Order: sequence, then C-alpha cells, then structure tokens
Amino acid sequence: MLMGGAVKKTTSGDGLNRREFLSGAAAAGMAAAALPAPKTAAAATAPPSEAQLAREFEVPAGYSEGEAQEYFVAHPGSDFMFDVIRGLNFDYITTNPGSSFRGLHESIVNYGGNRQPELITCTHEEQAVAMAHGYAKVAGKPLAMLAHGTVGFQHAAMAVYNAWCDRVPVVILGGNHYDATERRSGVEWAHSAQDAAVVLRDYLKWDDAPQSLQHFSESLVRAYRIAMTPPMGPVAVMLDGHLQEADVGSRIPAIPRLTVPVPPIGDTAALTEAARWLVDAEAPVIVADRMAHDQTGMQRLVRLAEILQAPVVNLRGRLNFPTTHYLSQGRSEIDRADLILGLELNDPWGVVNRMRDRVHRSARRTARADARLISIGVGDLFLKSNYQNFQRYFSPDINISGDAQATLPALIDAVEQRMSRARRRLNADRERHYRAAHTKRRESALDAARYAWNASPVSTARLYMELWNQVRDKDWAMVSEDRQQSSWGRRLWPMEKHYQYIGGSGGAGIGYGAPAAVGAALAHRAEGRLAINVQRDGDMLYVPGAFWTAAHHRIPLLTVTHNNRGYHQEFMHLQRMASRRRRGLAGSSWIGNALRDPAPDLAKIAAGMGCWSAGPISEPGDLAPALSRALDVIANGEPAFIDVVCQPR
Amino acid sequence: MRTDLLWVLIASVMLPTGWALAAEPSAETREADGRTLYLTFQCWQCHGYEGQGGAAPRLAAKDYTYEAFARFVRHPNVMPAYPVELLSDAELRRILDFVLAIPDPPPLEDTPLLDGESGSAR
Repeated sequence: MLMGGAVKKTTSGDGLNRREFLSGAAAAGMAAAALPAPKTAAAATAPPSEAQLAREFEVPAGYSEGEAQEYFVAHPGSDFMFDVIRGLNFDYITTNPGSSFRGLHESIVNYGGNRQPELITCTHEEQAVAMAHGYAKVAGKPLAMLAHGTVGFQHAAMAVYNAWCDRVPVVILGGNHYDATERRSGVEWAHSAQDAAVVLRDYLKWDDAPQSLQHFSESLVRAYRIAMTPPMGPVAVMLDGHLQEADVGSRIPAIPRLTVPVPPIGDTAALTEAARWLVDAEAPVIVADRMAHDQTGMQRLVRLAEILQAPVVNLRGRLNFPTTHYLSQGRSEIDRADLILGLELNDPWGVVNRMRDRVHRSARRTARADARLISIGVGDLFLKSNYQNFQRYFSPDINISGDAQATLPALIDAVEQRMSRARRRLNADRERHYRAAHTKRRESALDAARYAWNASPVSTARLYMELWNQVRDKDWAMVSEDRQQSSWGRRLWPMEKHYQYIGGSGGAGIGYGAPAAVGAALAHRAEGRLAINVQRDGDMLYVPGAFWTAAHHRIPLLTVTHNNRGYHQEFMHLQRMASRRRRGLAGSSWIGNALRDPAPDLAKIAAGMGCWSAGPISEPGDLAPALSRALDVIANGEPAFIDVVCQPR
Repeated sequence: MRTDLLWVLIASVMLPTGWALAAEPSAETREADGRTLYLTFQCWQCHGYEGQGGAAPRLAAKDYTYEAFARFVRHPNVMPAYPVELLSDAELRRILDFVLAIPDPPPLEDTPLLDGESGSAR
C-alpha cells in the first residue's frame, strides 16, 4: 500500500524507504558474521494490485466523502507497522489476542496475509514469550511477541525474566492507549497505562513508547538491534492504539536501515597474555556456559581444546562441546586445574567456590588455592540492579570483555603461536589420559543407568534410553533440560550438534518447559528435525495450553513426561527444613508439594488440547510400544504426548 | 478348671516373652519394615525408590557397615542430618537392612539398551 503510486512517496528524517531498508538489512546481516542475519524478504516488497489500490483510494459507493472518513480508513498506521515488522524478517508472532492491538492484528491477517510473519495463537502471554525463548535458541533469531501492554505484560513477566537471565532475544510488542481523551470507557482504560513496560523493565534490555509512526519504525529497528547485540536479551516496543488505527496521512514515515553490530571481541594484548597462561599451565581446564551461539562456536571450542589438550566442562547454558569428545569431562576437572578458562560464565564465583546449605552459611573454595581464572564474556557489558541473577562478585585474574564465540579465533591464533615443540610433545600424554578418563566416565554412566532399570515407576535412565532407542537414527533435538532427570540426556546420548541441547530456562521460573519446547519445535519443524521434550509434571500444569498451540499449528513435538507427581525440588527443601528443626521428618514433606489425590491425568489434559496421547505408563516394558505409536503420529506432522510415571530424579 | 487356671498362669508368664520373641523378625520382615521406613522418612526423595540415586548418591549395591551408614545419616556433609530423636537407631538399622537387600540390577550384557554404542568417545 505505502509503495503505491497514488500516494506521494516521501520520507522523513534520514531514513530509507522500505525497499532500501530491506536491502540494507541483508547487507548488515552479512557483515555481522557471527550472528544470524535477517533474510531479504522479497515477498514483503510486492506492490499492491490495481484492485487493492482502487479499493484504498475510492470513496465507497453510497457514501459521502465525510461519511467515508468516519467509517473507513484507507491507510491505517498498523499497516505501516506491519511493514516495519515484516522487514525485520520475523517468521512468526506469538500472541494471545487483545483489543489494544486490534489494529495490528487486522493488518497482520489482511494486509500481510498472515505470512512472514504468521500469527501463532497462544493461550497465555507467558506461553507466548516462552515459545519465543525456545524458538530463538534454535533458530538463532528472535520471534516477535504481541500482547496487551497491561494485563498481557503482567502475564508475560516471568517468561520475560527467564529470557533475560538466559540471554535470549525476544521482541515484545505491547498494545496501549496513551491519549486519555481517545479511550473508550471501561476496558480501554483498564488496559492503558502511563508506562506499561515498567512491569518488565527490570529485565528488559531496552523499551520505548513511540508517539509517532516514524518514532515507531526507528524504535522497533533499534530494539531489534539491541536485542541481537551480545549480551542478547528481550526488548519491548509499545503500540499506541491511535497510531495503529488512524490514517497514516500523506507523509510516509521512513524505515531506518538495520545494522546489527559485529559482536565485541576481546582485547588483543589481554588475549596474548591469556594464551601464554594457557600454554604454560600444567592442568588447564575450559569451562563454558552460555558460550556457543551455533555450531561454529562448538567447532571453535573443539579446536582450542584440542590444541591445548585441555578438558572442557560444559555447564548447562548451551551445548558448547560434543558430549562424545574425549575432552568432554566432569566438574572434578575444575578442582584439579591450575588454570581455568571461563567462557561466558553466568557464575564464575560458583565455579571455584561452594556455599554450604547449612544453618550458618559458609563458603569454601573448591578449586585449588593457586588456581587462576581467565574470564572471557559479555556479562559485564549489560547489567541491571534489582534482580540479582548476576551472581556473587568475583575477580578473575584476567577479565576479558568480549563475546566468547567471536573472540575464540583470536585466542586460538595466539595459543598456536605460543605452542613450542616441547609443549606439543606433552599433548600425547594428555590425550591418552583424557581418552581413558572419558571412557571411564562413559562406562560409569552406563553402569549407573542399570540401577532400578526394571523398577516401577520408571527410572529416569530407562526413560531416556527407551527414547534413545527409538530416535537414534533420526535427526533429533532435545528441547528440554535434563538436569532434573539426573542429566541422563547429556550423560548417555551422543550430542554433537549445537541444536541438540538448548539449556534451561535461565531464571528457573517454572512454566518455561512446555511452551519453550513447543517454540523450539516450531524452529526445528522448518529443518525437518524430531524435537523431543521430556516434560516435568509440575511445569506442565502452568501453561498446558502450549500443547493446544502445538496441535493447532501442527507442530510436531514428541513429549514424554517425567511425572514424579509432585514439585519434587520442594519436597527436598521441606525435608531439609524439617531436619534442621528436628521435627516432622516422617512424611510432612508431602504437604504443599504432592500432586496426588487426585493425580492430574496429564495424558487426558494433552488429549483435551488436541494432542495424541498415551498413559499414564508406570511399567518400563510398556514404554517402547507407546513410543513407537507416538513416532507414527509425529511422522504425520502432529504432536504426540506420553505420560510416564517416573522415579523422582 | 485347674487346667484352665494353669494355662492362664502359663500365658501370663509367656506372653511378654512371646512379644520379645516377636521383636526379632525374619530378614524378610526386617527388609519390609526397612522399606516402609525408607519411604516414611523420605529417603527415596533423593536416593530413589530403589536406592538407585538421583539427587543424591546411589545406596544400592554398597557394602555399608551400620557404623558408616549411621555416620552418613547423623553427620552428613550435604544431606540433611537425621537426629536420633526423630529416627531411632533401631529404625536406621531397619532402613539399612532394606538398603543392603536391594537386589543387584541386571548386568550390562543383559541390558541391550545400555550396549555402550551411543555416546562413545570419538
């Protein structure tokens, strides 16, 4: 519409028109090599048809011009908003519908044709954000999420906090009515705020409340850029109701060009010194948390580890290193090391210390007293004060600010230059040692998995290996965290691709699991991968509507529950408190924690959401046939759900 | 009548002894009692219903002495301490009876899904 010849094409400010913007976005994406680039969106630039133009600029038959102005709008502002959104190449917009963004909703459906981006209907705003969270970790680019700025943001808040803690970009769009004299009585007032984003601001990287369409276009492009600049995170831009619904007028706002910055790289001199320490260390260890953005990050870390023959401890943030590589080792390597290289550590203090959970809290250093720590990461580049997810203060011996994945090539070069022939000779012994240690760890994990193998309820090890047996020949991806299942996924499954494990919620906010899994599965669908979700029962009950979304939008996702019929972590906390107070040890921990009497029938819930389901299954021998049936459903592009009653962990 | 009186006298002497004898149950009974206590005192939460471990180390297939087991339970490093006033020595012994009696799991060679093919080093 805005590119049609009937309206004079002018731009405001220093911006570009839409066509120029789209080509600029592509160029910027190529420049930011380590970050996913927005694709060109040729479909978005298609000019309107003659019939469309005629409809837009004619006074409808039977109406005076004055009447037509009262009844109809030719160029609604939300159409322009959609142009800006489409130009950023969002594949989807997750939303629970709301009147404060009805203008944009209509533009997405009828002006944009509900494609690029397509609306994904959610049953709760927490679900909508968590879906975007899971999606971004697989696709490497954000989704847009659309909500009421008031009640929608309130629902969304916990999921936004998770994304913030997990350093995941989400672009949130919030409807609001700023001009009080334009509001309809009742709900429109209740759904308006002076400063709607305030409920999220403690865990947003940036937000804005644009007061014009030009302001909107600049703020949305700015928001996208901020969200994608490491450390990544959620951002929010408000959509004023009047701007959405009023006519654009004759002066077309411009859309600025997107240029996502190249990620910051660590200082050369500091990297040279770090390389010297790494090469000279007798027992170096590499510890990686939210480091790898993609497969390239994993490959770089493998290269560094192999040059040094240094073990790698993969924390839970992302899959940074193949679990099958012989240098993939356990946390005990940290305690033995004389030098620790920390890559994007969320909690460097916690890597070398432990706080005891006793009446009087006391910390002790678990790393060697003489161990030094080099930190590379972007954690210090963007912090906020109120929420304390930044962890305890710690002073690394060398502290390098820079995106670790982007910095690794320079560090690898510096290490290679420093490697003497004598130093290289040490590598054979190290390789022998770590190959043996890796084999031993592997054998130990297999041995441990045998215990309770035939037990009912089903052991979590059995659950994972029954699953593995059915998916081993497929292009699979785990879209859930396995920590609550004794980490069996990472202990037993060969994980070699970055997308095969995406870490957890970040903020430990329950309710992330199901919707994030559906969001991740949506990203995997485009690649034809089998997404696997081991779903905790307590988590599922927060936003079970996520399974309806999976069914409605035909998102194939294999879900098996780790149903221990309670909030199990809290069982253990309550037991610890009772022990300290020397009372109530025998059985009181059920109260407030158990999900029994009645036990929620999770399979029925999933079935009620439109998913094929089976269970509850308590006998391990019943698992294989149920999984086989579920995979048939998945092969038809539908979600499948099996409720498995399991051992506690 | 004299016979009945005699039986009453005998019973009055033997019953307390009989109860004492009943307090020495069979190994099976001790294990069953131990399992009940293992569940009642929530050991399963961290160690699993079969002692296989989970949030805490495996208990199954370990050769604990009572003294060592009691030390772990009364003076633990990580887990909550269970004082004797809440978990008596006798109860703890029954729990240990159960733990020691947990049958060994199937060997790896009889567990095809744990064939070791997946996840091996490259």
